[in-house]
Order: sequence, then C-alpha cells, then structure tokens
Amino acid sequence: MKLNAVQYGDPSMRIMKTPRSLDLFVTGRCNLRCTYCSHFTSPGDVDQDLSTEEWLRFFEELKRCAVMKVCFQGGEPFLRDDLAELILGVARNRMRFSILTNGTLITDETAALVASTGRCDLVQVSIDGSISTTHDAARGKGSFRKALDGLLLLMKHRVPATARITIHRGNVLELEQIASFLLEEIRLPGFSTNSATPFGLCRRNAEQVQLTVAERTLAMEALVRLNSKYDGRISAQAGPLAEALNWSAMEEARRSGEGSFSGGGRLTGCGGPMSELAVRCDGVMIPCGHLSHMELGVINRDGLAEVWQGHPDLKRLRNRSSIALTGFESCRGCDYLPYCTGNCPAVAYAMTGDAWRPSPDACYRRFKEAGGRLPSSSSLE
Amino acid sequence: MNSIRKPIANPDLVLREEFDDWAVLFDPDSGSGYGLSPVSVFIWNRLDGRTTPAEILADLRAHFDDVPDNAEAEVTEFIDDLARRGFVGYEVPLSGQR
Repeated sequence: MKLNAVQYGDPSMRIMKTPRSLDLFVTGRCNLRCTYCSHFTSPGDVDQDLSTEEWLRFFEELKRCAVMKVCFQGGEPFLRDDLAELILGVARNRMRFSILTNGTLITDETAALVASTGRCDLVQVSIDGSISTTHDAARGKGSFRKALDGLLLLMKHRVPATARITIHRGNVLELEQIASFLLEEIRLPGFSTNSATPFGLCRRNAEQVQLTVAERTLAMEALVRLNSKYDGRISAQAGPLAEALNWSAMEEARRSGEGSFSGGGRLTGCGGPMSELAVRCDGVMIPCGHLSHMELGVINRDGLAEVWQGHPDLKRLRNRSSIALTGFESCRGCDYLPYCTGNCPAVAYAMTGDAWRPSPDACYRRFKEAGGRLPSSSSLE
Repeated sequence: MNSIRKPIANPDLVLREEFDDWAVLFDPDSGSGYGLSPVSVFIWNRLDGRTTPAEILADLRAHFDDVPDNAEAEVTEFIDDLARRGFVGYEVPLSGQR
C-alpha cells in the first residue's frame, strides 16, 4: 500500500480518461493576413464563430472532466468582443489558460483583466522582426508597432508574456538583431521560434516564405549560437533550433554507436493525442489545429470524454506509434532510423496527404542530401 | 491518531482521476500538480469534513487487501502533509463548542 504521492507525470500512466488540456480556436477571424498564416485556406478556416453561451456551456463540461488548462487561439482571439467573458468562464470552471495572439488588439483594460485572474500561464505575441520593415513585410503595415504595444501592456501588468518568432525568408538574416531587441531592449525572459510550416497561406506563398536548405542551415547556426549567448533563453518545439538540437543528437548517437533513442524507429513523434484535444471555431472537436479535417464530434452535442476515449480516428492516431519506419520506402537504409520518430503527422499529411507516414520535412537524411549542414559540434556545447 | 478532527479537502483543488486509478491533484491558482496513488485517492475522496481519520483507516482496511500494520501512521502522515500544503483544512469550532 503506497501512500506517498508519486512524481507528477509518472511514465507508467496510460491514456487519460479526459484530455489534460485543449486548444480552443475561438474565432476564425483575424485582422491580419500574414503571408505564412497556417490558418487561412486550411481546413480550420471555417466561417462560423460559436456564441458566448456555447463556449461557456462547454467550459462547464471541461470542469466536470477535470481539464486543467486551455489555450485560446484563432484567427485572432482578441477579435472576440466577449473574450473577457470567456476568460472569466475558464477561471470560474477551475482551469488555467494561455493565449496565442498577434498582439495588435491588446488594450490596457484587457491586459489588466488577464492579470487579475491569476490563472494565466502565458500570452504569446507574434513578433517577426526587430524593426517594422521586417515584421510588417509579412504581417501588414503598422502591425509591428501595435504588436509591440500589446506586448508592453502585458509586461506592464505582469502577465507572463513571451514572443514567438516565425522564421521565414524575410527575417532569417536578422535573427541576431531580433534576439538582441527582444532579450536586451524589451527584456523578455525568453522567446520561442518556429519556421513557416506548410499549412494554410504558407503553401500558396511557399517560395516567398519557406526557408531553403541553405537558409535553414544558416538559421540553425545562428540560433544555436544565440541560445548559447543568451543562456538558453531561446526555445523551440519545431523549426531550425529544434532541428539543430535533435539532429545533432542523432548524429552524435550514430557516431558513438548508441543503440537507439526511446521511441526511435517508429512514428512516435507526436504525443498530442495522449493528452490534448482541440476545438475549431465552429465547435467541431479535432485532434489538433493542424489536423482540422479530422472531425471527431461537436461540443455540447457529443460528450468530451466519450469522444476522447472512443473515437476511432483518435485511437488510430495513438496507435501511430506502433508503425515502424522500416516499412517506408523513403526510410530504407537510413543510418538514423534507430533515432528518428517521424515527427509531426500534420506536416506529413500536409505534404503527402497521409498522416500515417513520416514527415518529409523532418527527414535529416534528406536535409543532408540536399546540402544542409548542422552547426559545428563546438557551438552546441 | 486524532479521533475528533475531521479533515476537509480544499474545494478549490481539482482531482483528475486517471484510467489506472492514479490521480493528479491540481491547484488552478498555482498551476502545480500533486500525484496521488490509488490509496491516496481513496483517502482524498473521504476528506469530506464528516469523517475522522480513524474512520478513514477503518474504511481502508475494509476496502484493500494487505493493509500493513503501520497504516495508521502512514494515513496520519499523509493527511498532515496535505494540511501543510494547504490541500486540507479543519473546521474551526465556534466559541463555546469543543
């Protein structure tokens, strides 16, 4: 009989009864049209925002399901006139929240309200340059100044705030200036990075925004160097910095003869379906914002727990981790197979039409064969 | 073991029970989570302000096999630990009451 509390996140835990967190795409509208926007023209681009009452009713179900946190996204969540009411609804139902925003519509009043809840984990503001010319070129005239004003208002009210840099062809040569601006001038504790991904408008504008192999190499080198300079204050879940670190680890493991990585050799790259779910702006439940075509049910009509536990598409996504990479022609003979997880199913789907195969964009061998190079090993120390 | 005081679970906390009978005690104000084993969950669900620790221990013995001899000490320490963390409280008697 064991009474002591165990470490939170015990790896022996299996699938949960309900998701721990949800991404709520509370609106499909946005006041900007960024050239690499993953939302517009994607399957998530549906022209129907739910009412306040529908969302509040759903939050009550989230409370019954003991969901711990939600992330307000869009479109642009601050476009909703009732966002304050939704935020208070989340807090009233014993959850925490974060917000992903372009920052241009944040007012002193809304920043103060967010702070007053005491339940905000993070507000992430998209900033793509250290000067307006760079940022506005991809996001729209005047957006840099407004985004910065929004970020500063959040900081004034001590809301945990960060910036997200989406690295694309228009700003890849300015990473040093951006890092200096955000970390030294604005004095953010840190910021995160990603690169323009093959969803939505980015696909239409791919030549304009998506990094070439050479630019990817350059970005990796710059970000690794800057992250060292700034003591780890730059983070990434995807994009050049994440790739540099992951692929370098794979290269090192191959050279040292290390057997394999945990989860390596199978499509284990996405853990989302084990703990998270998402809801489109029209109330349709989906696995995540980039698999918006995979409709699992409708909130307030289908039970969250029932969908989470029983929907065949979710079960199939979870079972993706049992698929061996050796079964794919593109992976045959790859030296990095024991270390590779196949990465994001949504990117795989966007690029190949099949979410049950490895993402071509995350293939290290392909990157090398195209002339890509990792940062030198000394810069990674 | 205190036979009078009846511990009350903090109603602001959220208990997330999981498939394998383990649970997370989540504090939405701080964002922190505290893992509970199946036995701990059993005890937590009886911290209702009406049940004494001695009664909880008796329930435990009736419900689980192989309850060790030191269970009383473990239950006491567990509840005391929860109280130290602010997860459990006790009703304060009104003046004149014992």
